[in-house]
Amino acid sequence: MAKKVKLSNENSQKADEIIAFHGYSSLEELIGNLIDSEYEKIKSDDDKDEQAEKLSGLGYIS
Amino acid sequence: MKRRDFIKSAGTIAAASPFMNFGAGIKNKKKMLILGFDGMDPLIAYDMIQRGELPNLKKLAQSGVFSMMRTTIPPQSPVAWGSFITGADPGKYGLFDFVHRDPESYFPITSGAETIPASLNIKIGKYKIPLKPGKIIPKREGKAFWDYLEEKDIEATIFKIPSNYPPSKSKQRTIAGMGTPDIHGTYGIYTLYTSDEEEAMKDITPNNLFYAYLDEENVLQDGEILGPVNDLVENGEKTKVFFKVFVDKKNKTARIDVDGKEILIAEKEYSDWVEIDFPLIKGISNITGMVKFFMMDIEKSFRLYISPVHISPKNPAVELSTPPDYAKELAEKGGLFHTIGLPADTKALSQNTFGVEEFLTQSVSVFDESKKLFGIEYERFLNKKSGFLFFYFGSLDQGQHMLWALTDKDHPYYHPEEAKRFGYMKDELYRMHDRILGDVLNTMPKDTGLIVMSDHGFGTFRRKVNLNTFLFNEGYLKLGVKEIDTEISLFDDYSEYDWGNTKAYAVGLNGLYLNMKGRESQGIVTKGERRKLLEEIQGKILQIKDPENGMYVISEAFITEDHFSPDFLIRSPDIILGFNRGYRSSDSSALGGATREMVTNNMNWWAGDHCINPRHVPASFFSNFPINKKIPSIKDMAPTILKYFGINETPTMNGDSLI
Repeated sequence: MAKKVKLSNENSQKADEIIAFHGYSSLEELIGNLIDSEYEKIKSDDDKDEQAEKLSGLGYIS
Repeated sequence: MKRRDFIKSAGTIAAASPFMNFGAGIKNKKKMLILGFDGMDPLIAYDMIQRGELPNLKKLAQSGVFSMMRTTIPPQSPVAWGSFITGADPGKYGLFDFVHRDPESYFPITSGAETIPASLNIKIGKYKIPLKPGKIIPKREGKAFWDYLEEKDIEATIFKIPSNYPPSKSKQRTIAGMGTPDIHGTYGIYTLYTSDEEEAMKDITPNNLFYAYLDEENVLQDGEILGPVNDLVENGEKTKVFFKVFVDKKNKTARIDVDGKEILIAEKEYSDWVEIDFPLIKGISNITGMVKFFMMDIEKSFRLYISPVHISPKNPAVELSTPPDYAKELAEKGGLFHTIGLPADTKALSQNTFGVEEFLTQSVSVFDESKKLFGIEYERFLNKKSGFLFFYFGSLDQGQHMLWALTDKDHPYYHPEEAKRFGYMKDELYRMHDRILGDVLNTMPKDTGLIVMSDHGFGTFRRKVNLNTFLFNEGYLKLGVKEIDTEISLFDDYSEYDWGNTKAYAVGLNGLYLNMKGRESQGIVTKGERRKLLEEIQGKILQIKDPENGMYVISEAFITEDHFSPDFLIRSPDIILGFNRGYRSSDSSALGGATREMVTNNMNWWAGDHCINPRHVPASFFSNFPINKKIPSIKDMAPTILKYFGINETPTMNGDSLI
């Protein structure tokens, strides 16, 4: 279900600047991207697995 | 000189007095060559010189100096070579272990580089295109000695020095070495296709074992090589390239069809490097990697080993060299070459996918490749009127790690049969390196400075110590259990760690951290409590005895603030453990885990090591000129190189020039 989001004037202006600077096509696209990147941060289990894989390849750790 | 006298005199055996001024040595100081033989142990070298087995190192010692050299605390390659690069102690360049920890999550992390993922994505169909590309940031701080040379227009080539991935910005010719990952960003994970079901089901980490189903025409239809995660699509998965293997059992050969190429390979043979393009956006974007296939077995069973996927030097997906074209130029001259920092596949032997013979075959081929690339760089160096060349060889280090148990009858993993067949190989590795030096001594003009050196020595690794078990038993580490029955791992049992009541924990091969308030996310130890607690733990650590034989397992424990410059001390363990001879941190402990038993046998081919008390594993130093210090230190090397070229001002360094 789509949700409406209220932005303060200040944030709305900042959003417009980011959109112009990075070439996003819309505010929705910018917000979608920000949600993606925040979501990635909390996917810590995947990160942990990746880190475990990285370290277990080190010969010093059998 | 007798061995005892060699040790007593801190190893210096010079033809002339080691305290002579440098003026008596080389007059025309315009060129210098350093051969870095990682892990060359001075006492092994001394014994072999005495037996006449290293004639070229002997010749070099007689023309100048052979000495033991102080290594770093701890004596780990990234730390020691970092000191070599920056002419300083670890506090100034921020590397303290192969494995650091994230103070926010307490998780172990690789120390050498940090990956910042791409961000600010724009979606086009199923793809997300990053506006801000990801990057890899080197974590070795400090100013490299070759930057000082560059400021004076002195040309330098630095070949595969550890602790320089990604290579720091420079106009000099540098190529990354130890620390360079495979295409997945790991230290290197091999793949095995095997028709032995039991082998394919083996529980190992990391695990890339696959059951090989050959159809009635002896064709493996559905082989796949995994590439990097495709970050350009939503919920990106690993990219893959498929291959088929057509087996000819009668002639013990196979044909591998992969990525549009046909590779013919006989049993027990390696293929050449095969470049593979992993698709990100079909027809538009891909990442090039490269592998070698090793057809281990055709007749008895089907076993196909595929090397970790290396970053191709011809088309590197990440920066491998400065200038960026240097890696490509070298590959065009000498052919494709290993780019992973630790190229011999020690994991394959540790996990018994390789036998000793197979590991040796691969090791020798890595060594031969280094020799070939050295030939190219050395010829270039000879043709120059001035300049500096550092060339790194890693085979001695990796070989000693894996072959030690063949010559150590008291090692719990001693294999008498393999010892009979391959026991000579540890010393042979020394002889192989000596022969490289022989070629140099026969061709190098006399007015060129020459140093042969290592970063640390070597010793046996018979017993594994879990420091977290000790900390738990002593009440410093709190876990949600009364007793440890099975292994507790940070990765699998995070909720068992009671950080709010933990005072100290161990992560890394030599590191012990206090859970500091304001530094760790759930730290409880205050600045006021810190020193007393450090000394209390230090005292207890030094009393730990091996329950099996009563030996002290740690011979020295270094409170790091007493030894290191403060610049990057924030990353450092609070205590670095100097294990006694024969002991080292267990794998579980290094990753922050705890086990029921504190000290256990090391039942693994990785049976030699150096991550112990640095006093037990000094480095080696040979030069064709005298030096002014009885016991040089690895941090003296950079100031020495710079002084050689007339550069006296080295404000970022705290080592001393040896000349």
